[in-house]
Amino acid sequence: MNRVNLSVGIMIIWVLGSLIGQWLPLDVNQIHLEAILKTPGADNWFGYDDLGRPVFDRLLSGSYTSCVVALTVIALSVSMGTVIGTLSAYLGGGFDHIITRIIDIFLAFPGILLAIALAGIMGPGIDNVVIALSVVGWVGFARLARAQTLSVKHREHVIAAEVMGTGRMKIIFRHLIPLISTPVLVEATFGVASVVIAEAGLSFLGLGVQAPDASWGSMIRDGTRYMLVAPHLVLIPGLALMTVVLAVNLAGDRLRDKLDVKMQINKSGV
Amino acid sequence: MLRFILARLFSTIIVVFGVACLVFLLIHLVPGDPVDMMLGENAQMADRQALREALGLNQPVGIQLLNYFVHLLQGDLGTSLHSREPVVQILAERIPATVELAIASLLISCLIAFPLGIIAALNKGRAWDKTAMGVSMLGVSVPNFLLGPVLILVFSIYLGWLPVSGRDGLVSMILPAVTLGTALAAVLSRMIRSTLLEVLHEDFIRTARAKGDSYYQVVIRHALPNAMLPIITLLGLQLGVLLGGAVITETVFSWPGIGKLTIDSIMKRDYPVIQACVLLISLTYVVVNMLTDLVYAWIDPRIRLGQSS
Amino acid sequence: MSDLPGSLSWLWKGCSLLIILFMVACSTPDNHAIRFGLANAPISLDPRFATDATSARINRLLYQRLVDFDEQFRVVPSLADWQRINNTRYRFTLRDVGRLFENGEHLTATDVKATYDYILDAGNASPHRGSLLNIKDIVVIDDNTVDFMLNNADPLFPSFLVIGIVPASVATQGQVLNKYSIGSGAFRFVDWPGNDQLIIERRRDKQRIEFIHVQDTTVRVLKLIRGEVDMLQNDLPKELVRYLEKRESIDVDHLMGNNFSYLGFNLQDPLLADKRIRQAIAHALNKKSLILFLLGGETVSANTLLTPDHWAGLKTSQSYDYNPEFARQLLKSAGYHQSHPLQLEYKTSSDPFRIRIATIIQQQLAEVGIKVRLRSFDWATFYGDIKAGRFQMYSLSWVGIKNPEIFRYVFHSESIPPKGANRGRYSSTVVDELITKAELSVDADQRVKYYQQLQQQLLQDLPYVPLWYEEHFMATNKNISGYQLVKDGNYDGLNQVMKKL
Repeated sequence: MNRVNLSVGIMIIWVLGSLIGQWLPLDVNQIHLEAILKTPGADNWFGYDDLGRPVFDRLLSGSYTSCVVALTVIALSVSMGTVIGTLSAYLGGGFDHIITRIIDIFLAFPGILLAIALAGIMGPGIDNVVIALSVVGWVGFARLARAQTLSVKHREHVIAAEVMGTGRMKIIFRHLIPLISTPVLVEATFGVASVVIAEAGLSFLGLGVQAPDASWGSMIRDGTRYMLVAPHLVLIPGLALMTVVLAVNLAGDRLRDKLDVKMQINKSGV
Repeated sequence: MLRFILARLFSTIIVVFGVACLVFLLIHLVPGDPVDMMLGENAQMADRQALREALGLNQPVGIQLLNYFVHLLQGDLGTSLHSREPVVQILAERIPATVELAIASLLISCLIAFPLGIIAALNKGRAWDKTAMGVSMLGVSVPNFLLGPVLILVFSIYLGWLPVSGRDGLVSMILPAVTLGTALAAVLSRMIRSTLLEVLHEDFIRTARAKGDSYYQVVIRHALPNAMLPIITLLGLQLGVLLGGAVITETVFSWPGIGKLTIDSIMKRDYPVIQACVLLISLTYVVVNMLTDLVYAWIDPRIRLGQSS
Repeated sequence: MSDLPGSLSWLWKGCSLLIILFMVACSTPDNHAIRFGLANAPISLDPRFATDATSARINRLLYQRLVDFDEQFRVVPSLADWQRINNTRYRFTLRDVGRLFENGEHLTATDVKATYDYILDAGNASPHRGSLLNIKDIVVIDDNTVDFMLNNADPLFPSFLVIGIVPASVATQGQVLNKYSIGSGAFRFVDWPGNDQLIIERRRDKQRIEFIHVQDTTVRVLKLIRGEVDMLQNDLPKELVRYLEKRESIDVDHLMGNNFSYLGFNLQDPLLADKRIRQAIAHALNKKSLILFLLGGETVSANTLLTPDHWAGLKTSQSYDYNPEFARQLLKSAGYHQSHPLQLEYKTSSDPFRIRIATIIQQQLAEVGIKVRLRSFDWATFYGDIKAGRFQMYSLSWVGIKNPEIFRYVFHSESIPPKGANRGRYSSTVVDELITKAELSVDADQRVKYYQQLQQQLLQDLPYVPLWYEEHFMATNKNISGYQLVKDGNYDGLNQVMKKL
């Protein structure tokens, strides 16, 4: 229980911190030449980067970036993917066949490769990152939604609704989607963690946020040039990234455990 | 079995075709004129025309697609815009580096994952299990562009034991392989744990224990071989993750493989090379998946002997 | 593993042996060689084609050239003395040193003619052709004497003859020496096995120099500290230089250089055509603090392309002091203020150091109310854009400028790319006249006066905002001695360097 509280707590800090950070009078891009590469000390929280910008402020700004990108991408991926997957499984036939093939083709690109290629070709910038990650992200949810729908579409109350003449769209949105929502939620939680990592990864490669904007990934990349003299530039954003992702993953783990228990109960109950 | 092979082959071919089409479409996603993008807008009209003709961009998309496939089947992946070398040659130079890294990472990840997963499964619910799974959770949460620099910080800069980057002898492969391998090990160890747990609950395990085999013997002689099936499948799938993750790891360590080539080409906007790299990596993944399925089918007597459904 | 069948066991042993041998083979460096770390790999060892700084500097060691430059960048004889026969005819007489090519041939006037004829032949597409267009004909008088006939009088003509001489046999056969050299310089080519290692040998004492290409700055510094590389010159951020200075085993040396960094403007852009804007930008820059915090200790603020110790350098000049208040006033007089800020786009290459400087300049301009959008590109795109005039502001450097002919190349109204390097499309009749007058004047003092006036005018007109002359620095292991830094950053010190084992 404590673990869950800690993870949820960290996630709340992340989201709140990002939002509050947007309102605070931050010094994100203010250059202080005298403070170049100053290590963390008594008078400053997290030190300064290679342009004398305060790491703490940039950390908050990067937090906002990762938060917004993650939530946007997941929202887009979940909505697109769930609808398409459910439709595909419910309608079946040729449509289902085509959708499955399309899903297979997208899944043939390992991991972040397609996102890198898309972002690389469309050009750098955070908007393109959101687009690229959403284009790659919907597929996983579509596949999950489809598999789940296939297993629930023969449930009694669904058939009952069909017999009663309920429209297909209504069945999909009122019955099927709510039924499959919990596994989708679990997947979405893990999805948030992986999008945070993906955005940071793309920014690390130079395909995400552009200078002088901050992202944890680009902060780490800029920091690697000064590892000899200022390791705090890599370690601090790295720690932040790891903490947030770990918290989200833990929360997702717990959610899935709870879900499994529920499903066991359901199975034995029915 | 034959039917299974043919069916699998057929669906693979469709996916391969789809992947090639998607990669072809990528270049047309470029906002604006792809030729402008390639020549950096500093070309004369004549150069632009020449490139357009050379790339066949002045023809309708359908014909372009056809040409693309014709060239592909002949093994012609075009010419690099930057160095004017044939792309196939560039790829051939860089493939060995990535293969080395992939094999080393796979080995390291198995070395980490198997003990971790087995210990966790055998001690389910207890301290060892929680620790092992905690470590694995950590591995999933630390991306390789973070782990890489941290390893460099500790082992190259602070301790001075290993080289920072580059491909310079066996020693320089250690840090990149560990970086890639641990990410894979994290996922693998969980899979090994859960598969082993499922198998350990099977009846034949109880029989073996009843017969007097020690727990250790039971795991190694009975449980593990049966668990290998889904584990092999996962290894095949994870190769794809390895190839995807290699892009970032190779960049962190300046490892001269296909992954770094992809990023370098993106930075130089060398589109033929970008296309070829993406195609190569994804097709490798698809083929490996297909082979994994076939191996799985062959090992599993139920499929090999054609059990009727 | 305990019970391997016999054959497998042998296989395993064989493999381990191979692996060990492999590791040993790959890790035995030549300890007698002096290893010089490079940030950029050389591209071509053919002096008729090489344009990048690294290749040019290495080619100086491998080939001889007719002339060279002294401390004030005046032309002095190198391979040959010369005599001005008349306004358009120069006679060069080859001296005794540097006459032996690597392939055993003796360097004669025929080789000189062949080299320059090759470059002048438009079909060979040599990038150096543009600087030699004044040559009408080259006549070989005898083995040691060659005459150059010019189209127009040019008192400074000899200063253009800086190309390394290749054997006539190479030039007439149309051979291109990209991957190895056949020169008559103080060094001879040994090997260039891969992209990252080039080996040359000093002829007089067989001392080998290995150029090792290491892109990443951290790796290069670590290699120096660990002794895998013996010396580094330039291309490190100030923080890493300071890190090296603190180390006992490393010697660091600094020298003021003559690489001129500047901010270029597109004078055809409606915003930047207004001189007040350019002046405002000049006053908004706090060069002093930029130099203090970001650049090496011997970096000096610049006012013009030629360094003050150049024979034609600007001796007295006004300077644009750091005055943000005045800058804001200038902007206001041009119609820009808080609610209607000036917006400019600043292009730079993808070099992280350039981006760093650009970000600071962006901030300094923001402080006077100019909103700058920073865009960085890979080199090919960047270079293409500035040549084509697709920019508002950009920053770059001129490396190793010695010949005041550069003013015509960069500021004459007819030198718009591809004819020259007047990327900002600057056009001033006053400057055009001064350039021509200076080039034609026979009296040396008069010539200096014209160049002074010219540079004063340029400083007033601000087609460039001059930034600084970057310093050179050298970091060596304690067992290296005798290397002297040179003002234009070339590697001539390698002629004297020694390594104590």
